[in-house]
Amino acid sequence: MNRKRALISDAFKVKRFRNETQKFGAVSKGDGPTDIRSTLETLMTLFPRKLFNDSLPQIVMKHQLYSIHNDKTLVDKELNKLREQGELLMFQLGFDADAFGLVFASDYKAKVLAGEDGRATRATVETFLEKLLSPCTELSFSKDKMLKEFRFTDSEITQLVKSGVLTVRDAGSWWLSIPNSGKFTKYFIQGRKAVLNMVKKSKYSEVLKTELEERRTTSHVKFQMKYHIHDIVGAELVESIPTTSGTLLRFVDS
Amino acid sequence: MLGFLTARQAGVDDPLRLRRAESTRRVLSLNRGQIHVNYSRKLQYTCKAVCTVGRSSRYVHKFSVETVQWYPYDTGMFVSSSFDKTMKVWDTETLKPAEVFEFEGNVYSHHLSPIARKHSLIAVGTTDPKIQLCDLKSGSRIHVLQGHRAEILSVRWSPRYDHILATASADSKVKVWDVRRASGSLFTLDQHNGDKSKASSEAVNTAHNGRVNGLCFTGDGLYLLTTGTDDRMRLWNSATGENTLVNYGKVCNESRKRLQFTVSRGCSPEFVFVPCGSSVAVYALHTGELVTMLRGHYNNVDCCEFHPDYQELYTGGKDCNILAWVPAPRAPDVEEESKSANQAAADQSSVNPAFQDAWSSDED
Repeated sequence: MNRKRALISDAFKVKRFRNETQKFGAVSKGDGPTDIRSTLETLMTLFPRKLFNDSLPQIVMKHQLYSIHNDKTLVDKELNKLREQGELLMFQLGFDADAFGLVFASDYKAKVLAGEDGRATRATVETFLEKLLSPCTELSFSKDKMLKEFRFTDSEITQLVKSGVLTVRDAGSWWLSIPNSGKFTKYFIQGRKAVLNMVKKSKYSEVLKTELEERRTTSHVKFQMKYHIHDIVGAELVESIPTTSGTLLRFVDS
Repeated sequence: MLGFLTARQAGVDDPLRLRRAESTRRVLSLNRGQIHVNYSRKLQYTCKAVCTVGRSSRYVHKFSVETVQWYPYDTGMFVSSSFDKTMKVWDTETLKPAEVFEFEGNVYSHHLSPIARKHSLIAVGTTDPKIQLCDLKSGSRIHVLQGHRAEILSVRWSPRYDHILATASADSKVKVWDVRRASGSLFTLDQHNGDKSKASSEAVNTAHNGRVNGLCFTGDGLYLLTTGTDDRMRLWNSATGENTLVNYGKVCNESRKRLQFTVSRGCSPEFVFVPCGSSVAVYALHTGELVTMLRGHYNNVDCCEFHPDYQELYTGGKDCNILAWVPAPRAPDVEEESKSANQAAADQSSVNPAFQDAWSSDED
């Protein structure tokens, strides 16, 4: 005797048609040539401008794009194209060999000049920016280049370093940098550590992405949660696993 | 445990394929330094070792065997090198070493050229920064390649030209050599393609930001893959040494010794199989996306090798198992999934009617 209650579908022999393989969790967006730019712009809106009193341009990390688009090589290629067109600038931020910050060139120029208003170094910085954004695909400059190609004198180079546009890399070469970005780097690293700890301390060291976004942030986390989540997923500090209840982020012990 | 797998069609005189698997030191095992030869005919198998060079043999290696390779033309001979600072050339029939080469440091890797007709050189990478080339015919060390500054973790001959050799070292550099020339290396691989502005000045002319411990040429020899302890894998054009900048993301690499990974041959698109913890990560070669993870081993996977004729992947691990991964044919309508008994299922599920479950769904 069949003690188990039969399903109505069995009784009426209604077959449940299975569609093509169902995709659970997050659905990846299609990749088109302009999508990288729009992703960049969406990510830029997550950047907190008020925190820095509008003195910094909006910065996005390169690996944050990897968390949205699946094909990393394509993302890299598109970014290089944008850089060659002179629309985007890439910076080596210094805390990680692989972490590159991206800023729109127009944004960068505007903010730097605004910051230089009324300072003695303004003229040098202006000339540097003119020569630089034409277009620039370099992350650092050596002394040779500065003296010969750009025809800057030593004192002018010192002025540029003072204004924050150049940062010392080693004897005789400098990184291109964003003025006043020290605070950004500090808050970024602090926030990243805090968010990673939140994931690590969860049960089984994993948490649903939607749940993490809704959690209350401690005072250490100054940026928006979504900004940090894109960062840790893109840098592969957490594993992103699609589940039936959404994306799960699991801490990667390395 | 070290293992070989040869799949040969009974009655057909296919040339025997070469397989190479790496051994590891197993913590609890008794099989340290042993060599097993397995042979199989059928498609589904748990194959037994055909012959073993075990602890009872007088000639067995004293410490872990790092690399083994069949002689490229037949299975009458194989070469093994180990951390006991020797490299032995064995006769498969009698299982006795025909030749023993001794070195001053641990031998991390050796390689015989798979296509060489004019020479029978074995390139050996040890803790010494000089790469030794030993001649199989005369039994002497005839050539030394200088240029690296730290221990050599991996050496590979090109499958396209029999005089091109690539070597990877702990000093983060990968050099490509032409063994016919007396002078130094042909070129060193540079991850930034000569663009000195991209990274700090110590990283100039390095292939990775850490030790380079894995090398693999693609089947046609046109590209070279390298893996490093900076958790990155890079694809290089082997003729020019240019970094193709394919981004594979984070490729876990915790090996202190050589990381043995492999590239598929004869299928399109090509895949790279990289052991990653206790599973194997499969990446598409030219786009860099992670296709899937093959899970089946119970412990760390140490080595993997691809058989182009059967399109099978063999992986060996610390759990003393060698698993064969077979691409299962895809059937039109998939309602149930089933796994075959001895083998781990590959990417798509198999609906071979012989394996389908015939159990009823109610619980009576």
